[in-house]
Amino acid sequence: MDAFLNSLTSGLIVGSLYAIMAMGLTILYGVSHVFNFAHGHVAVVAAYLVWFVADRLGLSLPVGIVAALLVMIALAAGTYWGAIRGLLRRSEWAFGTLLFTLGLAILAEYALLELFGPRVKSVPAVLQGSVRLWFGRLTLNDLFLIAASVVLMLLVGAFLKRTLTGQAMRAVAQSLPGAQVVGIDIDRIYAATFVFAFVMTGLSGVLLGTKTYMTPHIGWEWMIKGFVIVAFGGLGSVPGAILAAFLLGVVEALVTLFLGAIWIWPAWLVTFIVALWIRPEGILGGRSG
Amino acid sequence: MSTVWRRAMPLVRPRYLLLAAVGAFLAAWPYLGADRFVLHVAGLTLVWAVVASYWNLTNGFAGITSLGNMGFFAIGAYTSAVLAKELGLTPWVTMPLGALVTTALVTVLVGLPVLRLRGIYIALLTLAFADALPSVITIFRTWTGGGIGLLGIPELLEDLEKWQAYYFALVFFVVAQVTLLLVVRGAPGLAFVALRDSEAFAQALGVDRFKEGLRVFAISAFFTGFAGALYAHLLGQISPAMLGIEQFLMVISMWMLGGAGTLLGPVLGAAIITFGNEYLRVAGSLRLGLLGLAIVVTVLFFPGGIMQLLGGARRALARSRGSGRASPRTPGAAEAAAAPAGRTSEEGR
Repeated sequence: MDAFLNSLTSGLIVGSLYAIMAMGLTILYGVSHVFNFAHGHVAVVAAYLVWFVADRLGLSLPVGIVAALLVMIALAAGTYWGAIRGLLRRSEWAFGTLLFTLGLAILAEYALLELFGPRVKSVPAVLQGSVRLWFGRLTLNDLFLIAASVVLMLLVGAFLKRTLTGQAMRAVAQSLPGAQVVGIDIDRIYAATFVFAFVMTGLSGVLLGTKTYMTPHIGWEWMIKGFVIVAFGGLGSVPGAILAAFLLGVVEALVTLFLGAIWIWPAWLVTFIVALWIRPEGILGGRSG
Repeated sequence: MSTVWRRAMPLVRPRYLLLAAVGAFLAAWPYLGADRFVLHVAGLTLVWAVVASYWNLTNGFAGITSLGNMGFFAIGAYTSAVLAKELGLTPWVTMPLGALVTTALVTVLVGLPVLRLRGIYIALLTLAFADALPSVITIFRTWTGGGIGLLGIPELLEDLEKWQAYYFALVFFVVAQVTLLLVVRGAPGLAFVALRDSEAFAQALGVDRFKEGLRVFAISAFFTGFAGALYAHLLGQISPAMLGIEQFLMVISMWMLGGAGTLLGPVLGAAIITFGNEYLRVAGSLRLGLLGLAIVVTVLFFPGGIMQLLGGARRALARSRGSGRASPRTPGAAEAAAAPAGRTSEEGR
């Protein structure tokens, strides 16, 4: 029973991290219909930057996070204005952006490999120590991760509901022509969405980096997990992504407990196929917001 | 001039002459002083050319954004290799079996659920399918050899020489390309052209997207699976590395760099990528960067790939010669020049 509760907790923690990771992906898709295949690598690049600043350079963790986020903003703006904007004007935009982000992902992996080498790294834990619960131990870092995820989710909700940019993003997600008619600058909103998504994804990478080891290659794994979560939750749906992330986090933990880690990927796939078979629009399919 | 000659005359076009010359060269290559390494890479190129061509069939021609074709390849390779190794069957029996198993598995497991979906969902599900296979290989490691791979797979002939392997690959390549031509120019190809040009009208005429998609998917799975089986019995060893992201991106960039939606493009792309990959082996991880750069640059600056560049070059040549027959249609170029439909309206997912 203790083992079960333990893996349930770790499933919930991992799930909350997956939720943050999937949020950027699903909002980006909901607003711009660009599916970011470099999603996992954006997360890894941010995590590596934090590791570099906080661990290698020996500066503090907050400095690292701020530096990483600044790079994310520059990267997002550069990607949108430099490439995606032009690609979206083509008739083959869907496949064009897919391949472009795929190419970007492999370039990011190459850059990380060249700059930092293939050895495993991890982001230093935010908090040290642990607390005892009746079924086992919980590290303070895990508690921090849960708290950070919840705060981030609330912040995203507030951003989408309360701020003008957030509202404009939801308007574009609901209807592009409608948004254009009321005078929303689509380019500006797409660019803002890219920045928003890259920042969220980067943060999720940093949080994940404190929990797992990472290599330049792990971006692909994070990418696939993000995909399954957003497709499962319904592309473009934020609540769906959160729910799906928790579900899959728990499924992953229980599969690991009862069947072994080797069954994780088949389990993800089976969940995915069954979900799409029954509800192709995802469990909470619908629009962003 | 005799009548036979006059009838034959229209067939003598530069394009056919070039094709005949290339064909003759490929057939005679082993006798033209090609060494074993070159023949080895050439054989691999032919196998990858088939994989890339059939990937291009689903994605470039039929508009099904499949990302799981390396999975089809692996199923064919592993099925045939395991059957030959465990049951002692000759590869000549297990290769078609592997291809048929691939067709059945892919059509039922992937085709049926996937083709009811659209766009990005197809891409995600097919990718997840291919990505789950390494775990399946590990789970059945008593037969598949797990992560280390399968060694000592029976080869097509005993003491298979590189020039023999090359000819087997060449024959397979020719059969696959002729079949591809028939599919693209035949009923399925026309059905997809009709669906692309006017979906409503095509459906009113009785074109069923699901049925045609499934057919194309099955054909693609068959030849990709067969290519995988041939690959296994030509090399004598396979490993889950074939399902890795690098191999995946390499084959994708073959048909994309060559020219999506063209017949010749994926073959050219396969030649460039395979030879480039083998000769740059010393460069190590730089290949990864070059591959990424190639993909990004292709998508941004010449989405029609090499075929688009060739078409452009030929038109420029025709123009500089004054009259000349300017080629009216190069698919890649047409695509690039298409009216900016873009993402300007809510489109179905």
